[in-house]
Amino acid sequence: MATTALHPAAPAVRGGLYEWLTTTDHKKIGILYLINSLVFFAAGGLLAMVVRLELAQPGLQFVDEAFYNQAFTMHASFMLFLFIIPILAGFGNYAVPLQIGAPDMAFPRINALSFWLLPLGGALMASGFLATGGAAASGWTEYPPLSGPTFHGTGTDLWIMGLVLIGTSSILGSINFLVTIFRMRAPGMTLFRMPILTWTVLVTSVLVLMATPVLTSALIMLFIDRNYGGHFFDPANGGNAVLYQNVFWFYSHPAVYIMVLPAMGIISEVLPVFSGKPLFGYKAFVFATVGIGALGFSVWAHHMFTTGQVFLPFFALMTFLIAVPTGVKMFNWIATLWRGKLVFSTPLLFAIGFLTMFLIGGLNGAFSAAVPVDFALHDTYWVVAHLHYVLFGGSVFGVFAGIYYWFPKMTGRMLDETLGKIQFVLMFVGFNMTFFPMHQLGLAGMPRRIADYASTAGWNELNLLATIGGFVIATSMLPFLWNVLVSLRNGKIAGDDPWGANTLEWATSSPPPPYNFDHLPEIRSERPVFDARHGRTAAH
Amino acid sequence: MSMPSRSRTGAGPLVAGTLIILAIGIAVVVLAIAGLTPGRVFDSFFPVGGQAPVTDRGHATRQLYDVVFYIAATIFLFVEGLIIFTAFRYRKKPGDDELPPQTHGNNLVEVIWTAIPLGIVLFLFLISWQTLNTVDAKAADGGTYVRAVAARFQWKFQYLDGPDGKDAKVVYEQLLPTGEGGGLILPVGEPVHITLSSPDVIHAFYVPKFLFKRDVVPGKLNAFDFTVDTPGTYRGQCAELCGEFHGAMVFEVNALSRGDYDAWFTAAVKKAQQSPPPAPSGGPVASGAPAPSGAPAPSGAPAPSGAPAAQAVQIEARNTAFTQTAVTAPANTPFAIHFKNDDAGIPHNVQVKDASGKVVVNPDVLTGPGETDYQVPALAPGTYPFDCIVHPNMTGTITVQ
Repeated sequence: MATTALHPAAPAVRGGLYEWLTTTDHKKIGILYLINSLVFFAAGGLLAMVVRLELAQPGLQFVDEAFYNQAFTMHASFMLFLFIIPILAGFGNYAVPLQIGAPDMAFPRINALSFWLLPLGGALMASGFLATGGAAASGWTEYPPLSGPTFHGTGTDLWIMGLVLIGTSSILGSINFLVTIFRMRAPGMTLFRMPILTWTVLVTSVLVLMATPVLTSALIMLFIDRNYGGHFFDPANGGNAVLYQNVFWFYSHPAVYIMVLPAMGIISEVLPVFSGKPLFGYKAFVFATVGIGALGFSVWAHHMFTTGQVFLPFFALMTFLIAVPTGVKMFNWIATLWRGKLVFSTPLLFAIGFLTMFLIGGLNGAFSAAVPVDFALHDTYWVVAHLHYVLFGGSVFGVFAGIYYWFPKMTGRMLDETLGKIQFVLMFVGFNMTFFPMHQLGLAGMPRRIADYASTAGWNELNLLATIGGFVIATSMLPFLWNVLVSLRNGKIAGDDPWGANTLEWATSSPPPPYNFDHLPEIRSERPVFDARHGRTAAH
Repeated sequence: MSMPSRSRTGAGPLVAGTLIILAIGIAVVVLAIAGLTPGRVFDSFFPVGGQAPVTDRGHATRQLYDVVFYIAATIFLFVEGLIIFTAFRYRKKPGDDELPPQTHGNNLVEVIWTAIPLGIVLFLFLISWQTLNTVDAKAADGGTYVRAVAARFQWKFQYLDGPDGKDAKVVYEQLLPTGEGGGLILPVGEPVHITLSSPDVIHAFYVPKFLFKRDVVPGKLNAFDFTVDTPGTYRGQCAELCGEFHGAMVFEVNALSRGDYDAWFTAAVKKAQQSPPPAPSGGPVASGAPAPSGAPAPSGAPAPSGAPAAQAVQIEARNTAFTQTAVTAPANTPFAIHFKNDDAGIPHNVQVKDASGKVVVNPDVLTGPGETDYQVPALAPGTYPFDCIVHPNMTGTITVQ
């Protein structure tokens, strides 16, 4: 749709940098989220390279054990709290108001605050590297007593403070999303006409709102234990070390769905557009998303099967059950492609990468749901393989599908397809080379979080293979960076709707004007732009 | 409004597919050159490389693993095949601008693909629960009672005279977690009752060939039972991050026949009663933090001159590492190693081997803090690696010249 400049309240013109630092425009904030997340993705990636380099062969070659523990702790902290969660929130920020035909988020200034808490929290966390004793080093889960005052210094306090700020950012963001989605939808945009990405952001926001305060309470208790002689988690003084794990995972398991539901939403935008069909089983898909969100609160203790302090049958049953709505989604996605006319642009490649890899991440999770098998596999490299197939094979492939899909909307220019495909192939091959052998390493008994292993343990070759794969993944980021830098200046002009898409963000210009729309098409289904293009009758 | 122009499908997916297949092909060739047979690859999909577990509970877990594995593999092949087939079969042909059929859904298939996975996961849950009851079952009374004490970077095993509890007495304390005469020594064919105790942080007792692990939680006595059914030596390791030297916190399980076990146990108890009990012995005290620094030792210790003729070689252990990893010693004459252990509550020694890996000396373990002299016989010139028998990751070399 072409637009004319007739904005309700055209903002005063401000200088470039000043505008970006003070903006309350959800689109610019969304882009800031993306940039900030990619910076931490790079930092977390470098730390992963440190870990993989050290594990490439037995013996300590590059770092000592102390730094190794900091490296994997901060790798995970950056990737989870400062890359995956915020970048998905960034896509939500950018796309949700556009998709529901709203001019902005409900609380634009709080939206800006949510964003600016992130670099602040991230910098606090990262500043641990400058503190005496280095950054936090008890793993991203920071289990006490190891994370207590006896064993770790200031870095852990900085980690706690940083994470509390990041959590606050999430909570503010989720309230903003909920109010926006419930109060600011355009006329005709009923709940069951909302794009699936918006639905997943809605469910994710409920998860964030219910779970994140619980994490904050765990962190504050830990902080009191560390600094003011609290004994919440100190068994020598009537505390309980496993209490922390219960409270921590009550957040952090739903957080897994916070990290993957919006990526599923992205896939559910991309697959219909590039197959030329509507999403198969829209309502089933919505119910499955809500089901995952609800069940997600009853499975936290499956991270604690080996503590000897949880009621195993209940959590095993719930963990198995949560596979069902996830399976429903998988079949709906495949049915969306079935008999479609697939256009293999880069977003679709990454979306199909998501399907093939997330499938493995779901199936190898079933092994850990079978409690006795989890006794064998817990805390080995099997779990490292599982979580990377879910979060990298799933979420990160989804993130790149989203970047290639919305980049034209955000910038007005297309990313280069050839470079995109080169990135996909490198990433796909490197990913499997790195993480598939970890199944075998875990089965062979290699525990996670060890800096070194005996050369006689039989783990040498697979570790070397995983390290080479890690470098292939790192290499795959070079064509991506080059692509973004070149396309920003010289990319093909995108036009309003380069993909032949379905949802409202493609009904406005690229990039959209402030306040998004001068004119909205009629909304009579979940594909208003498709309807406008083909006429409503063509759809049925 | 006309259909917007889409990028041409062309050879893109074929090129990508070819590249992926090529990469997999190269990987297969490399693996084949590295000596991998299809059989070994297949075995690598099973716990401990397909080797049989060595406890009664382990067999039950392995059976469950196999069921889960074959179900997961079947689903994997079916769904992954479906995705790949769909992706190749339904590519858009160049010039085809017709809309594909706009199918919105089908309630019947939704019910089918909800019900079938539901059935599968309920089945998996039931057999998991059944196996769990076997794995977690309490064994009959009697047999061997051991309290495994996991302190930062150090396992020790206390043999008890009965079920762990207030009245339990420690009959023998095994300080050596690995090596000759060390490790958790157990009889085969009868129940073993393990309790887990930690004085500091959370650890985990993990023996891959048992297909089992259990966390060692401070403030709680976790317990589990099993029967080892095959004699042998099995590697074990701490599986819950416990700090810097988490990776060095290894142990071994030595399963002996009843006769061998009795012989060892009687001899070990007798030896422990004869020699004065190891210095700081007593319960799970051990590390708080690995000794703020050990303080540069109030020197003056009458060590250097106490040794025989030749000058002593100085080796010091601190923070579960040797501070000297390369030392020199005189050839063809006996010499002494003056060994200083700065790690409070943690045992170390200096085991010297020759180039072929044969043990030259393996002196008594010294629990820190403390120092002692180890006598070494005359050695031919050459390089002799040494390590700590408790912590195989502590290594260094002696150059004899």
